[in-house]
Amino acid sequence: MRKLRVPRSPKVILGLIILGFFGLLMIFGPYLAPYSPDNTSFAPLLTPSAHHWFGTTSLGQDIFSQTLVGARATMVVALVAGLAATMLSMIVGISAGYIGGITDDGLSLTSNVFLALPGLPLLIVIDSYLPVNSRSNSLVIGLIIALTGWAWGARVLRAQTMSLRNRDFVESARIIGEKRIRIMLSEVAPNLLPILASSFLFTILYSIGAYVTLAYIGLTSTSVWNWGTMLFWAQANNAPLSGEWYWFVPPGICIALVGTSLALLNFGIDEFINPRLRAGGLSGRQRRRLGLPRRQRLGLTSVNRTASRTPRLSPTTSNSVSP
Amino acid sequence: MTTESTEVGGVVKSDTPPAAPSTDTTRQVVASTIANEGAMGERILDVRNFSVDYGWGEGAVRAVDSVDVHLDRSTVLGIAGESGSGKSTLVYAITRLLRAPGVITSGEARFNLGSNEDGEHVIDLVTASEAELRSLRWSSISIVLQSALSALNPVVRVGAQFEQVLKTHRHDMSKVERRARAAELLGMVDLNEDRLDRFPHELSGGQRQRIMIALALALDPQLVIMDEPTTALDVVTQREIISELFELRSRFGFAMIFITHDLSLLTELADEIVVMYAGALVERATARELYEAPRHPYTLGLLDSFPPMHGERTELSGIPGSPPDLAHLPTGCSFHPRCPFALARCANETPPLIEIEGSGRSVACWLHVGDDGAAVPVELNRVSTSIASPSERVTEVSS
Amino acid sequence: MTDEMTSSVQLAARHLTRHFSVRTPGRLFDAKRVVRAVDDVSLDLVGGEVVGVVGESGSGKSVLARMLARIVTPTSGDLVLQGKPIEIKSKRTLDYASQVQLVLQDPFASMNPVHRMSHNLLRPLRIHGASKQDAPGLAEVALRRVSLEPPSRFLDSYPHELSGGQLQRVSIARALCIEPKVLLADEPISMLDVSVRLGVLNLLRGLCDNDRLAILYITHDIASARYIADSIIVMYAGQVVEQSRGTTLVDEPTHPYTQLLIASVPDPSDPTRDTPPTGERAQTDIAEKGCRFSPRCPHVMDRCREEEPPAFIVGENHTSKCWLYADHEAAVGVALSTRRKEGETATT
Repeated sequence: MRKLRVPRSPKVILGLIILGFFGLLMIFGPYLAPYSPDNTSFAPLLTPSAHHWFGTTSLGQDIFSQTLVGARATMVVALVAGLAATMLSMIVGISAGYIGGITDDGLSLTSNVFLALPGLPLLIVIDSYLPVNSRSNSLVIGLIIALTGWAWGARVLRAQTMSLRNRDFVESARIIGEKRIRIMLSEVAPNLLPILASSFLFTILYSIGAYVTLAYIGLTSTSVWNWGTMLFWAQANNAPLSGEWYWFVPPGICIALVGTSLALLNFGIDEFINPRLRAGGLSGRQRRRLGLPRRQRLGLTSVNRTASRTPRLSPTTSNSVSP
Repeated sequence: MTTESTEVGGVVKSDTPPAAPSTDTTRQVVASTIANEGAMGERILDVRNFSVDYGWGEGAVRAVDSVDVHLDRSTVLGIAGESGSGKSTLVYAITRLLRAPGVITSGEARFNLGSNEDGEHVIDLVTASEAELRSLRWSSISIVLQSALSALNPVVRVGAQFEQVLKTHRHDMSKVERRARAAELLGMVDLNEDRLDRFPHELSGGQRQRIMIALALALDPQLVIMDEPTTALDVVTQREIISELFELRSRFGFAMIFITHDLSLLTELADEIVVMYAGALVERATARELYEAPRHPYTLGLLDSFPPMHGERTELSGIPGSPPDLAHLPTGCSFHPRCPFALARCANETPPLIEIEGSGRSVACWLHVGDDGAAVPVELNRVSTSIASPSERVTEVSS
Repeated sequence: MTDEMTSSVQLAARHLTRHFSVRTPGRLFDAKRVVRAVDDVSLDLVGGEVVGVVGESGSGKSVLARMLARIVTPTSGDLVLQGKPIEIKSKRTLDYASQVQLVLQDPFASMNPVHRMSHNLLRPLRIHGASKQDAPGLAEVALRRVSLEPPSRFLDSYPHELSGGQLQRVSIARALCIEPKVLLADEPISMLDVSVRLGVLNLLRGLCDNDRLAILYITHDIASARYIADSIIVMYAGQVVEQSRGTTLVDEPTHPYTQLLIASVPDPSDPTRDTPPTGERAQTDIAEKGCRFSPRCPHVMDRCREEEPPAFIVGENHTSKCWLYADHEAAVGVALSTRRKEGETATT
């Protein structure tokens, strides 16, 4: 593995901080919640205050507690779906791309079918066939979402594998007699890591969206709190129309923040893959300090005489020359 | 607006142009061979004390170190060197096409546009503005790259690429005239007019490279820079393209900078050759002299690295070791760890590029600075039976 | 051939042929065209000898090497490894891989960027039966054999930390560590810096002389083939057009293509030479009928456009596939009719 650098780009750091925050919420959210999210003993529709940071619902539940507790289900489902979908797309994509022929035809057809089928309706159909008790199971929901979200990643990985397959280092492995499965796992897969990571981030993003949507339209168990069910109840009680913004804004912002953090991390992966982005990636302040023009332009090489170090010739040596 | 602003308060004086500071006696020696400092006369390009870094600040790597090169109108300058020697970096930086993180850190590159009654029109490419460079590129200086496939736009027909160039720079031409000119240009490189309607991928490597050359010549440039134009081609195609190039040159009289790692090719086609190693010039001589009587051990080793086509087979040794990493250059002369003749001082002191007395050629090697009485090895002291330079020869043949 | 000679032939190829079908887009339907990438090539790789194969890109020389390594399946032809015929359509066995190894052109591309050099050496050793304890020692031996000292420094490096010459040496070590008898080298020096090329060539020559390795050296640089090879084969459009032992082929080329090739090589030692003959125009067509070189040939005759020439004997151990030598052979009286028959039956 290449040496892991400490990410220096502010985008990546910000992304990591936000995602880390929600990761902690996933683990500790339910313990941190001041009240039970189901507790209806408070006055209804309180505006945010010191006691109820995000106010209360029309049933008198504490919205802050709901947000904290809801983080776990949302994030767990997203993580399960992301992992499962990435695994699936990796298996399908790499085998289709590397083995080729009829295997490729079959696997490509399958992934194209899944790609062409609209994800959400499919999800709704599958979900409505689930026994009601498993609708509250994050693992099951996550796997169902993964089933609708792997195809795109598989296509990208297949394309990349096909280009790697003819690379000399793969051919070298074949020449020495390496087995096919070993080539796929040990020679091809590590080179797909940046794409896998990127695809993982996007699948998580997709999964959050899908899960929240399912919950929002009431297709998951309402007994499990997540940001989607919060939106469902807010919508059901006409919160957006009655000006009860504190009811739907917190889950909405949480979803947006997680999405943003994933996008920011993806920038980091781009810079990791493409060194040119990294090399040009000096901040305006750094460029000024180094005496460079503010913008680097194509077709106009910078001139920076201050950076000139002493030439290799030292004065003492050139004095001794008398041709 | 872009370049001047970079020379921040007072620090500029560490820099050389135009008058070299006292530390730089060697460079003055070379510079004094130029007739007079101001006027360029027949000289078309004069590059002095040119340095290029990759990266900024702490992590900067010096890719080109205080290089002086120059060439006259209608002559061919060959730049020889291996990968990492800085030969491509040098010309890209001179034309200001070098991409970030490349930065020019010192020097000047004066380009002579020609003279009229007001006198000479000379422009320093290093301080030129973007607009000046834009008007200069292609019409006065053009470049042919190694990979024609990546230089030609894959989704645009060949004809349209000519059209584009002519349209931008020759506003007075009509569409019909432009088409005719494009056909004429293709004819010059021995291609049929019907190639104009093809896409680049439909052509062979040699044909694409010919199209690159035709495009480069579209606006009658005074200087054409060739960056390994034939490296990706077969020897037969290479030979055809090279002889076409020379025919074209004797017809239009442009000057040429030819970059390649193939010193034997360069010996055939260049008037003067400079050899680069690890970012610095190590030797400069006319092509024949360099081939017959190399003065720098690296040049000698490079020449011995090409197995001969005649005579008994003898074991050649080439050059031991590998080219150095620019970020961790050896101290003193960068070549000393690989040099069979290395002296004690080579490990500590960097030899300057100095002119060998009375010969008009220069070398950066302590072996030729005989103040400690060290004898020059016989291999590096051959006598050249200099004959006509290739450009004169080719002109005779074609006229 | 005497028994003694045949016994040292490590790998023999007879009439190796590989056709690819290519689709060329037509108006309505795509036309299928057969490209004869390699056409009826026979050669012997003998222990302790280097066979040089010279050709420009598209001459089929790389496909030939891959067929010999059996990672490309021939359309027809036979392979004989150490006297044992090989079933060419079957899957390559691990044993074949352990006897015949191929080194690729681009050392940077043939090393996986995510793995250390140790991976490149330990994997072949482990695949071919070295135990976990022995493998690291054998890897060090292999690195010493290609003059990479000290081996430990290289085992822990990633490809981007080494130079092209060093990587190509590791690449050769990777092929050699399992002690093959035949080494196929596909343009091993063309991607390397000029100053390190000779080192790799000398290394190959040394392996051949000291370890009695049979080496196939593929190149587009005829001067390097002259330098290293015991016999030279020139390929054009998938066919062997000329072959000879020693440097005869370079010193006295007979085939017009070989002559063109040699005249095109930059040769500053001959400054009086004018710009060499380039033929009429840049013709790159390959004739479908007759001699494949006929569209570019300066000596083309009517017969060349109609009939494909067999390989004529033009000297001792020197054949040339050109009609110019049809009478020559009869005149010299060296009628090795068997060989010619072989050529004729293959073309029908």
